[in-house]
Order: sequence, then C-alpha cells, then structure tokens
Amino acid sequence: MKRVIHYLRAINAENMKEWRIELKYKPDFFRQFFAPFVYLLPYFLYGVALLGGRFSEHLQSITGVADMIAYTFIGYLIMGFLNTACWAMGWSLRKEQWYGTLDTVFAAPVPRWVYVAGMAFHSTLHQGLIMVFQAVIISVFFAIAFKTTGIGVVLVIVALMVVGLYGLGVLIAGLTIGLKQWWVISEALNTLMVVVTPIAYPLAVLPVFIRKISLVLPTTYGVMGVRHLLLGEQIGYDLTTILFRLAVILIVWVTIGMGVFMMMDRYGRKKGFVSLY
Amino acid sequence: MRVIIEEMRKDLKILLAYPVEIAFWIISPLLWVVPLVFQGRALIGGLQSSAFGALAGTSEYIPYVLIGGIFSTYMFTAVWSMGNALRNEMFYGTLEHILSSPVRPLRILLGKALFNSLLSTCFVAVQITICVLFFGLTITLTKILPMVFFLILLMIGLYGVGFIAAALTLLIKEAHGVLHLFEYILFLFTPIRYPVEVHPITRAVSAIIPLTYALVALRGILLGVEFDFARTSLILLGIDMLIVPAGIWIFAAIERRTKQRGTLAEY
Repeated sequence: MKRVIHYLRAINAENMKEWRIELKYKPDFFRQFFAPFVYLLPYFLYGVALLGGRFSEHLQSITGVADMIAYTFIGYLIMGFLNTACWAMGWSLRKEQWYGTLDTVFAAPVPRWVYVAGMAFHSTLHQGLIMVFQAVIISVFFAIAFKTTGIGVVLVIVALMVVGLYGLGVLIAGLTIGLKQWWVISEALNTLMVVVTPIAYPLAVLPVFIRKISLVLPTTYGVMGVRHLLLGEQIGYDLTTILFRLAVILIVWVTIGMGVFMMMDRYGRKKGFVSLY
Repeated sequence: MRVIIEEMRKDLKILLAYPVEIAFWIISPLLWVVPLVFQGRALIGGLQSSAFGALAGTSEYIPYVLIGGIFSTYMFTAVWSMGNALRNEMFYGTLEHILSSPVRPLRILLGKALFNSLLSTCFVAVQITICVLFFGLTITLTKILPMVFFLILLMIGLYGVGFIAAALTLLIKEAHGVLHLFEYILFLFTPIRYPVEVHPITRAVSAIIPLTYALVALRGILLGVEFDFARTSLILLGIDMLIVPAGIWIFAAIERRTKQRGTLAEY
C-alpha cells in the first residue's frame, strides 16, 4: 500500500510539473484550446463542398444520420484522445532528453512507467478540458442536438478507449528510447490510426482489409459507440459487444505497450544509448 | 555562398541520421488524403460530386485532394523545417555557436530554406511517380515546364512564410503548437482539400496566401481545369515580392529584439 501511494504521489508530481511547464508558455497553452476548431473546420468545409450543404442522403442511408457536421464532429472529438497517446505520452521522454533532465528523472526511485503514467494522467486531464470546451462551443455554434440518455455508457466507453490508448502511448515512449526521432513515430502511428478509424465515415465504406484492421483499434469502438449513443448511428454491434471488445483491446494494448517499453528501456540502458540523441 | 552550401550539407547529414523521416515525408501526404476519399464516398456514395464541380471546376474530388496533398508538402516543410530550424539548434545546444559565427543568421536560414526546397522537390517527384504508376495520373513534358515555373514561384513565397515561422520560434520558444496552428490555418484557408469558394471568409483570406494560386495553377495544368496563366503567375509574383521582404524584415527585427533582451538562448 505504501508503495502504491508512493507511485501515485510520483504520478501527481509529474502531472503538476507538466502544468507548470505548460503555463510557462501561455500563448501555446491558450492556443491548444482554439487549435481543435481550426483543425475541424476543413473537414466540415470539405463536406459542405461535396454536398453543397450540411445534410447527406447517402450518409443517412448507410448510418441513419444525415447531419454531416454532427457525424464528423463526434468522430474527431473522440479522436482528440489519440493526441494524448501519440503526442503527449510519446513525446514525454524525448522532451526530457532535450531539456537535459532525462537522466535525472530516470535516477528517481520509481519505475520508468510511473513517469509515463504521470504524463498520461496529465494529458488526459488537459485533453479532457480542451474537449469539453470544444464540445460546448461547436454544439452551440452548429446547433447540434445530442441524445443524453446514454451519457453514463458514453463515459465508460471513452474511459476504456483512453486506457487502451495509454498502451499505444507507452509503446511510442518506449520506441522513442531506441529510435530517438519521436515525432516521426508519433505522426506515422497517428496518421495510420486516423486513416483506419471510421472517424468521418462508417465502417461500411472502408475496404475489407482496412475494416479488419480497424476492428482491433480502441478508437473504432470508441467513435462508433459514442456516435451510436449520442446520434443514434446504426453500427451493427450491440453495446455489450462494444464494451467487451474494448476491454479485451485495452488488456492487449496495455500489455504490449508496457512490454515494448520495458524491453526498450532495458535494451537502451544495456547498450548505453538512453541519453544519445 | 560557402555558408549556404555548408548549412545545406549539415542539414543533409542530420536528415540522413534519421532515415525514417525521409520515408515519412514521402508517404504521409498521400496517406492524409485517404480519410478524405472515404469521407467523400460516405457522403455522396460515388467518385463525383456536382456541387464540388460547380466550385472547383472538376467534379472528381479524389484527384483534386490528391494534388492538394502532394503539393502541400512544400508548405509543410517550409513551416516545420524552417520554423523548427532555430529551435532545434537551441535544443542541440548549438544556437549560440551558430549565431556568434561571423555570418548573418539570414544566410544560415537561407541555406536551410534552399535545402528544404530541394528536399520537398525530391519528395514531390517521388509522390507524383507513385501517382503515375498506381493512380493513373498522366504527365507530359509540356506539363512539366509550366509546373516547374509555378513551383519556383511557390517556393519563393514560402521562403517568406518560413522566415516568419523561424522568427515566431525565436519569439515564443515553444513553437511546436503554434506551428501546428499555423499549419491548420493554411489548411483552412488554402484550396488543399476543397475549393476556397465554399465560404466567403476562406475565399477572402486565401487571396493573400501564395499556396492558393500555386494550387489553382498546378491543378489547372494537371487536371485541365481552366485558369488564367498570366493573371495567376503575376499575382503569385506580386505576393512573393511582398512576402519575402516582409519575412526577412520580421525575422531580422525579432532576432535583434531577442539579442537585445538577452532571451536568445532561453528555453
């Protein structure tokens, strides 16, 4: 029990440290609240250019939802948590390396994963705050009406998806130890996840081989489940299946992520390239 | 000239130390197009849209976004590589050494800019080859010359954007997020993914961004969409003549300011 409290304190210390660093760069801190809007608008405008308006008959025929803006918005809102995994967690070690504090952090009397868990905790809080802000503004501005009856299940689905994505974040952090150029790994995995996850389109439009890959991603079930509950999208799976698959994916992804991280950490220290650029 | 060549050599050496980055820049712009293709299929159920055609001059949205994706490589490398150029030197611990050498920082930045132009051209050439081999894009020799002409005009304009991005980094230090925002703004206000005529605001803002005119011209050449060659090249030239001196002036002013305040080496 003492050890758990010790680890939790370390995780919180990491979280607080990150808040302090981020608040030092105020323009960047506030930018993070507005960037998602600028990021989302091109997807809306692309849809409007294709449709000549906001509603799509074809989308309605395959998903039951005609509103392209609401459909696309939920997808990209949920995918915001991918940034937590790919950028915040993946970058955590490389950033310390650049600051010249990696060796000092690694000398602290806690396992390495505690440090990455601290980053995960911080970025979930930060990303969550951004997403709430984004959800309120976009919903009001575009007059999007959501069903609120299943909000509890939505939170469970998002929580399972986020923990599953932690596995990916830990994996990227581990790969960064060996491959150094972290942003390429993050960006490549981010791009692949964005392509394969049915963010602004249903599974039905994906080619069969991509559809099979998307079924092992937590984001697929996260996006589909939330859209089903909030917009009534027809998805071909019941909620129990979605929750069960998310739980299995969570266990597998976190296990693989931790395994790769520990392996790379051990390997890096043995070969002596942990501090190399 | 020697300084510029040495800077280019150094950048090449650093790039070759991270070969995975090369593969990333070649493949990513093509991959970024894929979600747009799926989104198009989900929204209209086909490969052509009359609403899109009325705005863009071509109803086939896939070649449209593909060309946007490929040529936006120039923009990304200008924003990211130039923007991060000095920040990376800061992280490497070499910024003060570089800036204390008897060379104007602008020349160093110019070396980085030229290197990025060459690099982007190589990436775009590979991407176009992929499109010719796998997606049936046709390129004739008569198309190459006007394309090169517009690409040169685009690159010159992007040097100005790159100088501004580098200056921003000197000023606010933690520029990663701001550069991302900068990139998103360019995505929003240029016809990379959709015709800017879709909204009056995007149409108005896009008028001052060089990438807008370059994309109009390049799509015109590659897809046979009608455009005014003389007018587009004159506007692009005019923007270049404004944006490059503006970029140089902003960079010089911010560099001077950071040196005076002693914040150059701060993180």
